[in-house]
Amino acid sequence: MGSQELTGTSGGHLEAPAAQESVWSGGGSPYAIGSKKLGMWLFIVSDAITFSALLIAYSYVRVASEDWPTPFHFYPSVVKATVMTLFLLTSSVTMVMAVRAAKLGARKSAAKWIGATMLGGLAFIILHAIEWAELIHEGVRLFQNPWGSPLFGASFFTLTGLHMTHVAIGVVYLGVIAALFGSGRLDSEDVEISGLYWHFVDLVWVFIFTVFYLI
Amino acid sequence: MGGTMSYKGYWSIWGILLLLTMTMIAIEALTLPAAVAILLLAAAMMTKATLITGWFMHLRSETRFIMWCVVLATLLTAAFLVFLLVPDGMDANRLAEYP
Repeated sequence: MGSQELTGTSGGHLEAPAAQESVWSGGGSPYAIGSKKLGMWLFIVSDAITFSALLIAYSYVRVASEDWPTPFHFYPSVVKATVMTLFLLTSSVTMVMAVRAAKLGARKSAAKWIGATMLGGLAFIILHAIEWAELIHEGVRLFQNPWGSPLFGASFFTLTGLHMTHVAIGVVYLGVIAALFGSGRLDSEDVEISGLYWHFVDLVWVFIFTVFYLI
Repeated sequence: MGGTMSYKGYWSIWGILLLLTMTMIAIEALTLPAAVAILLLAAAMMTKATLITGWFMHLRSETRFIMWCVVLATLLTAAFLVFLLVPDGMDANRLAEYP
């Protein structure tokens, strides 16, 4: 049943006021927020709950295991993870710069800032992949490792792997946004929404870095 | 353009985040009692999360609906899981019962 059948008549057909039709066709903002942005926030909430569950599951198996391995020593593991943190934090700043430039209508500048953000993401992925390769070389597998509880590998690779997948998807997503926004086919809200996703990726790393490398 | 700041403001937040990261590494390097270290690290971690969501994601200038959706959904789920699971897991060597 369309909105036109709901209100008023005109020449045998029902007619709706323009504002109401706009709401029914998706043009309205019932929660005082654009539908695309609302969608991204709801995605972020659901993804945050997923990562929360995984981090808490990791905490559970860690405190419940007598011989939980702690292979991340200050050098090189913590130092390397800190450099990875630096790349992600810096990429978050370049992303807010991109959003700011987009809001001001500076399309080329916004695309450049997004490019810098992508570089930060790529640097993070490369460093993380090197760390994975080193751990695998030392004998860490999903269900075995040379040091203790076999669940260490499963929890580490699952959480960091899921996060790295988010970063990789984010880099591609930002590339698409930069190209389309730079050519004038998207508006500044699309850049802002991609920024929300990127900051979320940074936010998740704050928790992973603390729980895996520092505690 | 609600919630956006100056370039200087964003770099200041970045500086605070870096400072907190360095503080966390210092806490890890010091030989503090485990409970104290975990408490300090958790406090620093939550401060960093608040700065990222509030200032970079501009959550503090979003509508109340979005703010409460995000804060309540994530915090209540996390609290529920922590209080449900962690006390059970702290029963020493619990997983040894399941070879």
